[in-house]
Amino acid sequence: MMVNAQLYVKDLPGHLVESLEPISLVNGNIVGVVHDREQIVNQRISIDVTFEIKGTSELEQLKAIWKSKDVLIAKMGSVYKTYTMEYMLVGKFTASFVESLIDEASVIVSFESIDVNYSSRNASSTRTAMISAEVMSENDLKKLDLFLMDACKKSGIVYIRGL
Amino acid sequence: MRVLISGFGTVGQGFAEVMILRKDFFIERYGKEISIVCVMDSSTYVSNESGLSPNELLERKKTTGKVGTETYQDSLKVMDSVDYDLLIEVSPTDIKTGGVGLKNIRHALESGKDVITVNKGPLALKFCELVSLAKKNNCKFRFEGSVGGAMPIINLCRESLVGENISSMRGILNGTCNFILSKMDNGQSFEQALKEAQQMGYAETDPTNDIEGYDAACKVVILANSVFRKSVTFSDVNITGISSVTSEAIALAASHNMVIRLIGEVSDDKLEVAPRLIPKGHPLSITGTLNAAQVVTDLAGPITVSGRGAGRIETASAILSDLVSIMDDRKERGGKCRNQ
Repeated sequence: MMVNAQLYVKDLPGHLVESLEPISLVNGNIVGVVHDREQIVNQRISIDVTFEIKGTSELEQLKAIWKSKDVLIAKMGSVYKTYTMEYMLVGKFTASFVESLIDEASVIVSFESIDVNYSSRNASSTRTAMISAEVMSENDLKKLDLFLMDACKKSGIVYIRGL
Repeated sequence: MRVLISGFGTVGQGFAEVMILRKDFFIERYGKEISIVCVMDSSTYVSNESGLSPNELLERKKTTGKVGTETYQDSLKVMDSVDYDLLIEVSPTDIKTGGVGLKNIRHALESGKDVITVNKGPLALKFCELVSLAKKNNCKFRFEGSVGGAMPIINLCRESLVGENISSMRGILNGTCNFILSKMDNGQSFEQALKEAQQMGYAETDPTNDIEGYDAACKVVILANSVFRKSVTFSDVNITGISSVTSEAIALAASHNMVIRLIGEVSDDKLEVAPRLIPKGHPLSITGTLNAAQVVTDLAGPITVSGRGAGRIETASAILSDLVSIMDDRKERGGKCRNQ
């Protein structure tokens, strides 16, 4: 599991390293660290650390070590990996058609973010929409792909998706 | 090795040229040259059990438009009249029925002859039947040039990557479509790009097979059956061509730093030919008539190959590779080779 934690450690030499070492002790893998010296509270500085760890028992072990080393845990939460994909629709449709399509899709897929761009209107009645979707799992990408493919097929719209 | 060539169009003539170019190679490697004992085109044939001169074959085709001196009605009778070891089947592709190519390949395999082909029709329609026939009759049956021309993809997967688990394969399998889409990247309309492709000889007068994705779909079937050991035919492929791709779509993709390319994809749950959005700089964002394929393996990771997907000498080079493989196998076994 990927975990993000905000820690407060004493603003003394060696305490930053001392707060990160326990992650390795429980076989965790540090992905990123932000050491914020401008955020000093009660002579402690803020450290934002993201790390991979095997499971909850290792996480509890880590929390106990931090406690024993006087490292304060201000915030802790899971970090989710997201998946993005681009989709293009080409054909005769309106912006409200695309909006309703996205509304329908959001019932079956958890969107982290979604962005739609349209080509500028021209003399022809066809238009192009580019949808950039960010979802929570690969399975959601598959569901979204099948949903859009099916909806476009029914509406006679050309469907082009990313790799 | 006595070879019968069925089809003496672009690829057949290319193979004859390669035989001239590689005469010394065969003598050095096997102590003898390849003996072409019979060649058929659509209506004529010529045979000589002592071997035919590739130069003379090419010259006669050039001056008379025919390869042979005799006409024929039934290619199977011609095949039966000649003593040969290997059929090189390079007659025109018929993706609806398999055409004369399918008939010739079947007959050669039933007669216990090894076969090399680049003819997509028979492979897309009757792959499993032909492979079974080859196995039953202990014949070698190879078809590297049927997908990607000179780009080595089938033998790469079946031989070099034999210990890998291949999870998917995606590629640009039709050079004509890639040429058209590349031209559209530079601002041409679909119609203008198609016309230019026709003028340059990349697209046929009736471009349907290319632009509607049928040609790429045949290759997807061949890859699915030969690499993924599936048992599928042309009708199993979900096909979308490029004729509906507009200049607007190309421009909108470009504004997101992407290009549109016709991609054939094979995986456990996918058998598809469709236009796809490809990030610029990705190995599959190549331009022009090139073909490219990306194979995703469990140990080696993604492997990408690219090369010229068509052309006289280029496709003949794939036949040469199959021929050398068969001859090496025969040499190792001191006679008749085992099947794949």
